[in-house]
Amino acid sequence: MKKNDLKKFGEIFTKYILIISILLILLDFTFHRHGYFSFEEIYGFPAFFGFISFVFIVLVGKWLRKFLMRKEDYYDE
Amino acid sequence: MMSNMIPGLVMILFSIVLPVIPNYFRHPVMLLSVFLSSLSLFNGYGIFLEWDILGLNLILYQSDSLTFPFAIIFHIAAVLVIIFSWHNKNLMEQMATLAYAGSAIGALHAGDFFSLFIWWEATALTSVFIVFAGNTLASRNAAMRYLIIQVSSGVLLLIGTCLMLYQTGNHNLATLDLNSDFGKFIFIAFGIKAAFPLLNGWLQDSYPESSVTGTVALSAFTTKLAIYALARTFPGTDSLIWIGAIMTAFPVFFAVIENDLRRVLSFSLNNQLGFMVVGIGIGTELSLNGTVAHAFVHIIYKALLFMSMGAVLYRTGTTKASELGGLYKYMPLTTIFCIVGAMSISAFPLFSGFVAKSLIMSSLGGAGMVLIYFVLFFASAGVLEHSGIKIPYFAFFAHERKTRVKEAPLNMLIAMGIAAFLCIGIGVYPRYLYQILPYAVEYQPYTLDHVISQLQLLVFAILAFLFLIKFKLYPSEIKSTVLNSDWFYRRMLPGIGRPFFKMVSNVIEKFYFNLAFVFNFLLGKSKKYNNSSFIKVTTPSFATLILIIVLFIMLLIAVI
Repeated sequence: MKKNDLKKFGEIFTKYILIISILLILLDFTFHRHGYFSFEEIYGFPAFFGFISFVFIVLVGKWLRKFLMRKEDYYDE
Repeated sequence: MMSNMIPGLVMILFSIVLPVIPNYFRHPVMLLSVFLSSLSLFNGYGIFLEWDILGLNLILYQSDSLTFPFAIIFHIAAVLVIIFSWHNKNLMEQMATLAYAGSAIGALHAGDFFSLFIWWEATALTSVFIVFAGNTLASRNAAMRYLIIQVSSGVLLLIGTCLMLYQTGNHNLATLDLNSDFGKFIFIAFGIKAAFPLLNGWLQDSYPESSVTGTVALSAFTTKLAIYALARTFPGTDSLIWIGAIMTAFPVFFAVIENDLRRVLSFSLNNQLGFMVVGIGIGTELSLNGTVAHAFVHIIYKALLFMSMGAVLYRTGTTKASELGGLYKYMPLTTIFCIVGAMSISAFPLFSGFVAKSLIMSSLGGAGMVLIYFVLFFASAGVLEHSGIKIPYFAFFAHERKTRVKEAPLNMLIAMGIAAFLCIGIGVYPRYLYQILPYAVEYQPYTLDHVISQLQLLVFAILAFLFLIKFKLYPSEIKSTVLNSDWFYRRMLPGIGRPFFKMVSNVIEKFYFNLAFVFNFLLGKSKKYNNSSFIKVTTPSFATLILIIVLFIMLLIAVI
């Protein structure tokens, strides 16, 4: 029940995800991955696409707060 | 006798007698009714019950390869909901849940638009009591809005059906053309319940306001009934592809900034419906199989996610991300079940979402629709963001929790356990799911290409999350309301309507004021006769009595 339990867990988790992601990228060089469209078959394309999409979604969402966010009791009046 | 009784009807009949059953026996009785209804699954395909009334031939009970998978999953969902709400003593919610599940199952087996309309309204009228049972001011208001929207959908369906009968002389459930008048009405009616873009406000408005157990029941039936109806009547309608693609992409951004985790799940539900709608729009055997498979697995993992958030709400009293975190220590099993649901919805290989979503993605690839394919690929990263990471992260991790809470009650854990088991089971043995799909298609989801692509997408998206958290770029939880399409009828219309009505009422008020002035003037003249025997003060009731007598005499004269 120490205070940094979560932090430790987060560090271990990050380490494993890093290892897995490097493995996945290396795996891509070992065989030709078939896709439905030609640029899908570029090395590491899904990885790149996933990373960029995720960052894009979060940052756009954050920016949308300017327009869409209201106080919690907005509809209560 | 049971063989041609409409499936689901037995559940509605049982829901009526629930009040006279002692509380401890109610849930077993509810399970019994679901069991009796599920016997209909062994009847095979065909038309079992018709009714000629008012010159119309209603097909009340028919089943085929499209109704079958939906009927199975609706029964499973009903069982999960009943087990999950075993502790709940709220009679209204018990009755509403059983009748709601029963009506949804009945709706699947309707063979014509009039019977479908009746069940369509039945699901609306029963489910509104589930929202109502949230028992807060917010849930009661949301319930009224929900009722108006749901009934509007029913009215549009009825208009479409009547037009269709008038123009074609036929009202049987069949594929429709969107270019016909009636097709448009019916399309919008289904579109409301399927939460099309801009018609989706009711979903995120009402579901998160229901009770701990109510949301689980709501999440399973209404929208998937709409998906079934669309798959039956509008397969291969091109506009559905675009509508679906928009549905997958847009809710993603809303889900990022929403604070209430059950509302995040409602946005996520909307995004999942988008995948199914795209599948209907493509309209090939593979894509329709994909839609049905996706609806099937989606009901299970979405219920699982809503159950885990229900358990959190039950133990902590809130599902606001800004007030949660660190629950993994106190609710370890709920945490694990939630993560199983999260991995299923994110479509990790070996989880149920993967084997269903692959079908839709493959049919898009096969049809050569590049843009839509990448919109859905993008949306998959979005699903991982809000359902895969945000839900478990903010509820169970994020930061340490100061106050202690208990693990979820046993009945909730059992329901979540069954759902989690099904999620993994279907993911590992997809052939059992593929066997019950409407079309016989040989499909292998576990090819090296699929698995590696999907893993790269997901793992690197997780990496992006860790990166954003590390550099404090991830938006923090803020207590807030996020505007959604319900804003149009909750704020914009009242914003225009209220001043307008105020103006009109001002005019009317002024008119009466002047009228009163005239009367006063006239009365003032008559005041001097006040004490004379001409004028008597009468009470309103006496005046009404005189009016009634006069009206009665007029009526008599009219009759004679």
